[in-house]
Amino acid sequence: MKHTLKYFFSFCLLIVQFLAQAQETTVTKTTPEKKKSESKIPETPKPVTVKTDTIVPVKKDTIVPVKKDRYGLRVGVDLYRLTRGLYDENYKGIELVGDYRLTKNYYLAAEIGSEDKTTEDDRLNTTTKGTYLKVGFDYNAYENWLDMENIISIGLRGGVSTFSQELNSYKIYNANPYWGEMPWKDSGETFSGLTAGWIEVVAGVKVKVYNNIFVGFSLRMNTLIYDKKPSDDFENLYIPGFNRTYAGNFGAGFNYTVTYFIPLYKKTIKPKEKVKG
Amino acid sequence: MKKIIALFLIVTFASSSCEKDDICDANTPTTPRLVIDFYNVSNASVKKNVTNLKVIGDGMTEGIVFNPGASGEDQYLANGSSISIPLKTDSNSTKYSFILNSGNTNPTLIDTDEVTFNYTKEDVFVSRACGFKTLFTFVPNNPIFHTAVPVTKGKWMQVISVEKSNIDNENETHIKVFF
Repeated sequence: MKHTLKYFFSFCLLIVQFLAQAQETTVTKTTPEKKKSESKIPETPKPVTVKTDTIVPVKKDTIVPVKKDRYGLRVGVDLYRLTRGLYDENYKGIELVGDYRLTKNYYLAAEIGSEDKTTEDDRLNTTTKGTYLKVGFDYNAYENWLDMENIISIGLRGGVSTFSQELNSYKIYNANPYWGEMPWKDSGETFSGLTAGWIEVVAGVKVKVYNNIFVGFSLRMNTLIYDKKPSDDFENLYIPGFNRTYAGNFGAGFNYTVTYFIPLYKKTIKPKEKVKG
Repeated sequence: MKKIIALFLIVTFASSSCEKDDICDANTPTTPRLVIDFYNVSNASVKKNVTNLKVIGDGMTEGIVFNPGASGEDQYLANGSSISIPLKTDSNSTKYSFILNSGNTNPTLIDTDEVTFNYTKEDVFVSRACGFKTLFTFVPNNPIFHTAVPVTKGKWMQVISVEKSNIDNENETHIKVFF
């Protein structure tokens, strides 16, 4: 939760910065002032460009109203799953995430991961091990200013998982404990070759924090489509990628990601003609 | 936009706090008890009520509670024509003493029979909340061992008949006792 707060505050700070930036640019939009500013601008930004080279193309974009979107591949890792193993001895897992920008707002997205989770219920202790793959798309609903590349997205994923489930120990439920409460019984029975498939609705945020590095988190609501049960009278208590199964076929999950954007090409955005008409 | 983020966070916190959820519903069929019905020995189709029947497990000091609402000795006394008693889930046999007219001021009216039930057991998964239940099956040979206490005295249970050898729910009679 500390991570959440940290990112939340840094994200808020970023928003404040964007607001400030946004106010600067509105002045240059109106045409009569633009002519005046054209003569002034070359004087003022020059000292800035001397200091850092990276800002040069950025400033050019503001003068010439040509906006370019960067297209490419973003790859990263889920920090939540990676760090959970440090404080939760019943969990080991990793998830790699990636997305590829298809159009202005659509991204092809995928997650691949592996989990080893021991679930301790009141009367059951099971260990689930397996891998999963989720493929789908994200739709970026956030209108970025200038060269910003932040994402507030909703998306859809199809997920599949292959896994095994081991029943470590269990307790007998006895509503009439005349002979006393029975202790845990060891089992060690393993059910392997299990599979499951589901659909996820994903709501996510990604913020560019430094150059091509993004941090983000996403929240997922899952609906199980099918699962191969361990046996006729036993069920899958945890599915890697899907998470804990609840009564009904619903599940939920989330991740905190750090991703690196690999730019591949740029596309010019056509200026909106609606403004004139 | 901050509202959206705030909403995300709220949902995240909410979903992380609802880990513990289900409690085993009392109506879920779990480990069944042995259901014993009492019949009239001279008219086998007519049920007969027992009087102040107390059932104590072997090695136990207190009887099975048949009347949870009653106080004192009364809570252990059954007076109907049917009782349900729990079998041991960690052993293949359970021994009970059935004491008829328990607590009667005239000791000659108090009858005690000891019955041992022999069975095999199987643990079956119920649900995440309930865990497992144990189902029992009477062994084919000598499922019941029956003696009077003291042995010289006659048995008050004249016939014990196994009606159902699979004990997997409490909705049916497993044992019929004629007296």
